[in-house]
Amino acid sequence: MNNLLEVKNISVSFDGFKAVNNLSFRIGYNEIKAVIGPNGAGKTTFMDIITGQTKPDNGDVLWTDKQYSLLLLKESEIAQLGVGRKFQKPTIFENKTVLQNLIISQKKIRNPFSVIFQSFNHLDQKKINKILKEINLFEIKSKISGELSHGQKQWLEIGMLLTQEPKLLLVDEPAAGMTTDERQQTVKILKKLSLEKSIIVVEHDMEFIKDLDCNVTVLHDGSILSEGTINEVSNDENVIEVYLGR
Amino acid sequence: MFNSLLKDTNHRQVLFFCITIILFSFIITLLSDLFSVNFISTSFIKTLGKTLCLCVIALAMDVVWGYCGILSLGHFAFFGLGGYMIGMWLMYKRTEIIVLTASISESLPLTPQEISDAIGNQIFGVVGGSEIPLIWANADNLYFQLAMVVFIPGFLAFVFGWLAFRSRVTGVYLSILTQAMTLALSLYLFQNDSGLRGNNGLSGLQNIPGYDDTSQSVISIYFFWASALFLILVFIFFFYLVNSKFGSIITAIRDDETRIRFLGYHVESYKLFVFVLTAVISALAGALYYPQAGIINPAEIAPIASIYLAVWVAIGGRGNLYGAIIGAASVSLISSWFTSGQAPSISLIFYKIEWVNWWTVILGLGFVVVTLISRDGIFGFLKRIFIRKV
Repeated sequence: MNNLLEVKNISVSFDGFKAVNNLSFRIGYNEIKAVIGPNGAGKTTFMDIITGQTKPDNGDVLWTDKQYSLLLLKESEIAQLGVGRKFQKPTIFENKTVLQNLIISQKKIRNPFSVIFQSFNHLDQKKINKILKEINLFEIKSKISGELSHGQKQWLEIGMLLTQEPKLLLVDEPAAGMTTDERQQTVKILKKLSLEKSIIVVEHDMEFIKDLDCNVTVLHDGSILSEGTINEVSNDENVIEVYLGR
Repeated sequence: MFNSLLKDTNHRQVLFFCITIILFSFIITLLSDLFSVNFISTSFIKTLGKTLCLCVIALAMDVVWGYCGILSLGHFAFFGLGGYMIGMWLMYKRTEIIVLTASISESLPLTPQEISDAIGNQIFGVVGGSEIPLIWANADNLYFQLAMVVFIPGFLAFVFGWLAFRSRVTGVYLSILTQAMTLALSLYLFQNDSGLRGNNGLSGLQNIPGYDDTSQSVISIYFFWASALFLILVFIFFFYLVNSKFGSIITAIRDDETRIRFLGYHVESYKLFVFVLTAVISALAGALYYPQAGIINPAEIAPIASIYLAVWVAIGGRGNLYGAIIGAASVSLISSWFTSGQAPSISLIFYKIEWVNWWTVILGLGFVVVTLISRDGIFGFLKRIFIRKV
């Protein structure tokens, strides 16, 4: 299968502490992969490297089969290339409406001069309305997003990712703090999305991963401990040891 | 141009604002010396005209600080530079006219060199020179100097902003940096060999070359109207700018810079854009202000002026264009009332309160009280009262 993203032997250390150690990872087109691991396993650093926030000490991050290195690009350029990120805490713009949040994230030319002259035309409206329905927020699109419930905020953020039309979604703990219903709904949304996008989900919640039913990579101390389906991984002795304590 | 996130009520607001300013200007004109009512003196017309220019720079400050989150303590430097650029033309041209008029009585016509020497002597005599500095080479050309009003402050803002934003200097560090820039500029202008007459500054700017026969009461009305129209234009421009998608993006930068970066926006270019744009508008406001003030000197550019600007916007209500105008107009008018000695001093048994000295204390207290009571300033306070009533 073709690679959308390939991470090759990356290592990064902060003040001598190895946060990520010789890690390799790949994801193909329209694939969901889950990354799990205890606190401090390097999950967030791994995401930071892909989005360009942290530069690794060695190794490379390659984009598509053309093998562009993402390490040479700025955060905003990586985002424009098609990497969208959903943060752990919902980071929407709380004093803007749902609609405004989606408009500023919509895929469009991003430089200030063209933004001034951009109009919000019928086609843009149609695209956004479609997404609003997908994330169940169509009825309340004019609401100030700070007033949404926690679950709705998470969906709005997923919606903001969608309007960017990314090729790869990095989703950090999408189910954190959600009710069972909301979690089911989130699984549905993510699964539907994976029909046309690749998704990397970072999660603590094993139930959620089971529902997603995808390949799992277990990180520990900055490197890969185990890889495989959720059943293979949860029967792996190393994983059990790390998760249940030694 | 700007996208249609606005409701009809918003457009009505703009219209209401424009009509208010125009009505206000008409009333002031009718009450002025011009129609021999003499209710409002020429000097007060000038004060009002200057206040309108200050409202414009307050709008610029509000956009750069209230909306984009960059607390610039240097926008008065751009304002002052704009004043200097237009002041050069006003002073040069007028001196040239004086020299040429005087030369008519001479028996021999003056050579160009003699004319230039005479002008140089008149302008730069106070700083002990008669040579016309290189930066004055095109000072006789109005269009060139008008271009410089935009170009010099714009260029300074661009270079400064590019360096600062590129290295991701934010928050209080950026404020300090802008203040340092302002101080450096002001100190430079204080020097006699800066070519801008050192601490004497440029003076006689109220005399418009070629309009010697026109009385100041007429000229002051011209400038008053020009300032009012400029305020309206800038207000309309900013109103639609901050309510457009562009406005959403800059407020998003203010609220969460990292997040908007991950949405694919190059935050630094937006900041630079806003910084330069507001600097240029400040400079244009300055170019309208100083012909009404009549004199500009480096003290005008001192950091304290830019701090006052931030105080006006904070008192009026930042993040709201009306707030900036309310703040700038009320505080600067009250300030000029107190500091011009019109406020009666109060004699206590043991102490005499002179408002000229005590005004800054009042301003400081006012600032503290307003920000404690209402974080979004006078405008936010009024809005809450108004909304509760309705």
